[in-house]
Amino acid sequence: MLNNILETAINLIITLNKDLFEIISLSLLVTLTALIISVTISLPFGAFLVFYKNRVQSITILISNTLMGMPPVVLGLIIYTLVSKKGIFGFLDILYTPTIMIVAQTLLIIPIVTSLTYEEIYKKNKEYKLLLNSLNLTKYSKLKTLIYECRYALLTVALTGFGRASAEVGAVMIVGGNINHYTRVMTTSIAFETSKGSIELAVALGLILLLISLIITLLIKSLRRIS
Amino acid sequence: MIILPLKINNLSYKIDNTFILKNINILIKEKNITIIAGNNGSGKSTFLKALHGLIDVPYDKITWNNIQLSKIKKYQSMVFQTPLLLNRSVLENLKYVASKRNIYNLEYVINILKKLNIEQISDINAKYISGGEKQKVAIAMAIIGNPKIIFLDEPTSQLDPAYKNDIENIIKNLSISGVKIFMTSHDISQIKRIGSEIVFMDSGKIIYHNSVKKFIGENHKNFIKNYITFG
Repeated sequence: MLNNILETAINLIITLNKDLFEIISLSLLVTLTALIISVTISLPFGAFLVFYKNRVQSITILISNTLMGMPPVVLGLIIYTLVSKKGIFGFLDILYTPTIMIVAQTLLIIPIVTSLTYEEIYKKNKEYKLLLNSLNLTKYSKLKTLIYECRYALLTVALTGFGRASAEVGAVMIVGGNINHYTRVMTTSIAFETSKGSIELAVALGLILLLISLIITLLIKSLRRIS
Repeated sequence: MIILPLKINNLSYKIDNTFILKNINILIKEKNITIIAGNNGSGKSTFLKALHGLIDVPYDKITWNNIQLSKIKKYQSMVFQTPLLLNRSVLENLKYVASKRNIYNLEYVINILKKLNIEQISDINAKYISGGEKQKVAIAMAIIGNPKIIFLDEPTSQLDPAYKNDIENIIKNLSISGVKIFMTSHDISQIKRIGSEIVFMDSGKIIYHNSVKKFIGENHKNFIKNYITFG
């Protein structure tokens, strides 16, 4: 039976099944957009926090570290209550759209990228603090240098964020609604197809997810080696 | 711009209620090589960092020709005991420092590489060069922009005799060209070879300040005598 399922799943991938690739495209679109937005916000923010050692900074890092482990389903629930018809952002009418799925994944990645960026830049700043101070640089100039020096490590951070977002199911299921041809992504699709007994498509999507995970792992490994 | 004399007026610095520098008063007038010597933990490196503005001390405690330290900082540079180099090629390291000093002339940077005889390693990542080469690159970075004062924190302590000789020659040449040098050192034979003036420290205080010649020739109490004998 497993052989048959695998054969059909691989066949779906090889024959470039339309439904399958529609789901993959939407998944990549949502996750990559969320990644770009969150990296644009969190990377400079995480790096900026290194230079402002005060109570606000400590609390921000504490909150960010705590949110890193937040279950996506809880985040989905919070966003749902905010954007549902009766929620304070209900007027936006974005529930069950790819837009709110991007928002959910962005919020999911932001703490990860912020905390990991802070860690990387903090370590590098410790290493280069004397050199940068002796060159009499401005904070902005130091920040630019440290970000450049951490470039490979920060790419790894971004990939970690991508990995987390592409694998999550809870948040996008709640806020996206798993609507066929509209908000159905790989993870929600796997859950849905399995529940209705259509294992082949679920396995095909699972294989693609595993492949993406493998590519991310290999990229992270090679970036670590370079850095 | 004239940067000397250096005047330090009752400088103290403490960490967690422990004095690292205590009531330092000094006047340095000569444009030569000033050695800051003393045993481990005597406050030499902290003193050097204070002179370069790397630790916070009241602005009026250190003046260079009556000018505040913050205004003189752009004329200073520093070489650390463990060379601090960026994760990029040797040439890129130099170009980085040059750009921070608003120098964008590649020929100028290449001339510095040649001057220190390190042009053959210019394309190698600074992580992969030897300790002696790293220290030369650090000195090359320090001389970009023709600083008037260079601080060197035990620049040869981890080097073999050949590199030590190379670096000492570079330091001597810098001094001859008019750069004021402040250098910490443990090595008494090195102090004799290149030092002109010595500031000897113990427990954060300056206990001796004179020419190296007098330092070596004078009859000292046990503490400095031991240092000279076994240093």
